[in-house]
Amino acid sequence: MAAIASDHGHGHGHDEALHHQFENMEQQNDSYIVGMWTFLVTEVMFFGALFLIYTLYRSMYQMDFFLAHEALNVQMGMINTFVLLFSSFTVAMSVRYAQLQKRGGVLAMLGITQVCALAFMVVKYFEYQEKFGHHLYPGPGFGSHPEYLHGATPNFAQLYFGLYFGMTGLHGLHVVIGMIVIGYLMAKWWRNSPMVTKDYIPTELVGLYWHFVDLVWIFLFPLMYLMPKP
Amino acid sequence: MASTPLSSDSKHGGHSHVQPVWLLLGNMLWLMVLLIITWWASTFDFGNVVINNVVAMLIATIKAVFVIWIFMGVMHASKLAKIWVVAGFGFLFLMFGILGDYATRQFEPVSGWETNVPNGGASSFPRQWPPQKKPEQVGENFRPRG
Amino acid sequence: MSAIPADPNVTAVSATPRTETNYLNADWSIKSWLLTGDHKRIAILYLVSVSFFFFLGSIAAGLIRYELTAPAGFILESETYNKVFSAHGIIMVFLFLIVAIPAILGNFLLPLMIGARDMAFPRLNLLSWYLFMAGGILIMGGMINGGVDSGWTFYVPYSSMYANSNVTMVLTGIFIAGFSSITTGINFIVTTHKMRAPGMTWFRLPLMVWALYATGVVIILGTPVVAVTLLCIIFERVFHLPIFSAELGGDPVLFQHLFWFYSHPAVYIMILPAFGVQSELIANFARKRVFGYHLIAFSSLAIAGLGFLVWGHHMFISSESMYQGVVFSLISFLVAIPSAIKVFNWTATLYKGNIRLQTPMIYALGFIGLFTIGGLTGLFLGCLGTDVHLTNTYFIVAHFHYVMVGGAVTAFLGGLHYWWPKMTGRLYPESIAKWNAVLVFIGFNLTFFPQFIVGFMGMPRRYHYYYFAPEFQPYHIMSTLGSTVLALSFIIPGLYLTRSLSKGAKASANPWGAHGLEWETSSPPPTSNFDQIPVVLDEVYDFDPVTEHEQDKAAQALEVPSYLSNEAKSAESEKEKR
Repeated sequence: MAAIASDHGHGHGHDEALHHQFENMEQQNDSYIVGMWTFLVTEVMFFGALFLIYTLYRSMYQMDFFLAHEALNVQMGMINTFVLLFSSFTVAMSVRYAQLQKRGGVLAMLGITQVCALAFMVVKYFEYQEKFGHHLYPGPGFGSHPEYLHGATPNFAQLYFGLYFGMTGLHGLHVVIGMIVIGYLMAKWWRNSPMVTKDYIPTELVGLYWHFVDLVWIFLFPLMYLMPKP
Repeated sequence: MASTPLSSDSKHGGHSHVQPVWLLLGNMLWLMVLLIITWWASTFDFGNVVINNVVAMLIATIKAVFVIWIFMGVMHASKLAKIWVVAGFGFLFLMFGILGDYATRQFEPVSGWETNVPNGGASSFPRQWPPQKKPEQVGENFRPRG
Repeated sequence: MSAIPADPNVTAVSATPRTETNYLNADWSIKSWLLTGDHKRIAILYLVSVSFFFFLGSIAAGLIRYELTAPAGFILESETYNKVFSAHGIIMVFLFLIVAIPAILGNFLLPLMIGARDMAFPRLNLLSWYLFMAGGILIMGGMINGGVDSGWTFYVPYSSMYANSNVTMVLTGIFIAGFSSITTGINFIVTTHKMRAPGMTWFRLPLMVWALYATGVVIILGTPVVAVTLLCIIFERVFHLPIFSAELGGDPVLFQHLFWFYSHPAVYIMILPAFGVQSELIANFARKRVFGYHLIAFSSLAIAGLGFLVWGHHMFISSESMYQGVVFSLISFLVAIPSAIKVFNWTATLYKGNIRLQTPMIYALGFIGLFTIGGLTGLFLGCLGTDVHLTNTYFIVAHFHYVMVGGAVTAFLGGLHYWWPKMTGRLYPESIAKWNAVLVFIGFNLTFFPQFIVGFMGMPRRYHYYYFAPEFQPYHIMSTLGSTVLALSFIIPGLYLTRSLSKGAKASANPWGAHGLEWETSSPPPTSNFDQIPVVLDEVYDFDPVTEHEQDKAAQALEVPSYLSNEAKSAESEKEKR
């Protein structure tokens, strides 16, 4: 193969944020964005399988799922949705500030996001605590206080709560991972690391992840908390 | 399709589009409005349960589209990112083809076979969809573990 | 037929001067290996660990074979037998087949083939190896610490409720190994999209790259589904979340749906890269451009797409709706089309090629035959009527071993021999390797062909005795005999390849006279692959005319009538080359 040497000047050492395998910042940024979207596709499939299980069981046991869902606290769900939507906005703003290289703005916005995430987890904690108190966690003691089942068949209510704890639990795990990643990103910004200040892409990637967490909740909330009466 | 990544130097800053504050703020407020509508729609009866569920999912989808399009910046993203978004959700719908199994199980050729099952029809999984008869709630039907 | 010396030592194409430091001798410390971001070193790490797991899985296979030589069994108890065949399946599927070609050959070759310095995300690549090792250690730990007896398919409710073996630990290992697979897939996709050298257009990509890209797509779309499905079993066992529990109204068949939604495409994760290796081997040892390059490239993508539409053919007898069964049966037959396109095109490539029967080529020719048998018997199983008779018998075992061992493992061995000089800078002993390739073919057929017959006669799979039908014994003995030959033919390459690391002759940059970017750099390549990023000016598989025949042909191509203009001349010669 007649391969001749490239006349491209290689950017070694020119840009602190440029990794050795890339030619220029544009190629690097494109790669990171494509990589993140590819990862998000896997996340879509990951949660998608759970949504599929939920769809099947709910269509099979509509009335029981409806009755079981009355045990959930819609106010708390609404608060959590507001909090997450707002945090999505603050993350989008932090990406904007990162593009404009305004360190203070980024730190402030990410800080608000952290507070929102914490608030979400605190509300979640109280919700879970209530369910455990009402013996609505699947397992041997499930439904020992039938008044909290609102008349649903215990077996099918157990399926519902199994999915409830599984799906919101996995989503909560994603929120916690998001908090850790955002914390790491904030530390980088705090220390003025060139990795983030010279290049907005790390902030953008964390933002994409956080929006995805929000996206899952957008579907979880009406499916779990707001069922129409069958 | 044939363009190589390095030859497309001209398209600089294509994805690093800075979104204006009014757009982000407006999008958030619009999502909040949609959230209220979601709650309202869940209390309102549109006719039957199928329509109610479709409406609920439709509103959620609209919310998702606004998050993806504006917050996630797909509006200004590369074509490849757009393809991934479509492919991701496309394959998700493909997977929901699994439900086709459950939707067609009741149309078996021999009529009445689904009632003539051993154990008096107490098979744990109903062949009819949606199930006509609930299994009896009995003590040993609880999970044996634990 | 061939004027090219059979000894790869003598190279016809002038080699670029060898650089002193390469990726192997750049740094000798263990830390530099364990913290490397270099895709070539990660490939070597994978090679060592995957070979180890393959060894363990083969021991399990040997135990199964020896147990079955007597109708009532004579080595293992029933429970141990269940654990042994589960161990064989789990290790071979999750720790060998899914990783072998993509993570070893793919990792090593992808950046070299497209002219990049490294994968797009080297650290993610390293993380992938660590996840794989963590998953592998958990799986092995679970097997040593009591074993697992649910088979590699983990069907509920057995795996979620009744199995008292170490299912949770093994599932956690598979879950983690799945993420290793996902990170590799992401890396392949991004690297193919964004890291190609200038001039490397999509249709100049070697077919191996197309195959790896299709594999990446299958991995990222399928693996998360099985990850979450297996996670549901972990939830059920550990946290009592009843996801598939039948006694509460859940549906165990849904588990099978979700499991096969990944695990059917997973067989394409195993075989697609093998197709890629096969295309490279056939083209380079026939010294001809692959016949129907575009068709082979697109058939890889077609297989990746269609592979997601056929999961239900594993469930014909699992109370699936018969209407969906019919649809799945039809689509399963459709998969035969892109697979046949590949087989026919490889065969057509051989026609009037300048064939050299060296070790990789013997493996490649074996692949064509074995894969064809494996694929055609797949049609028996995709057919609703015959499947009822054949499913869960040794017929199905023989079928997928023909595709997985006869296809994927053969291609892996062929590819390993082909790129061994590039990976290590040493040549393997050609004559013994040739005989060994023939031995693999013989041993393989002796092992698995009797299983077709005994399966058709009704021997069920996963049974550890057949005292009800002692007439099966000769077939089982024949199969065990073959497996011994096969085991021997896997040990021999391990020995001579290891020996060649120190004793083998040094390889030139292009010992095969092959055509491709990976042969442009020295053997073994320097850490940054290329001293300067190459610019690709010509088509892939555009072999330099070496033999007299080829040179005559090239000269004829240039002799165009004088009335044609210069432009037409060059267009004409371009056309002839293709």
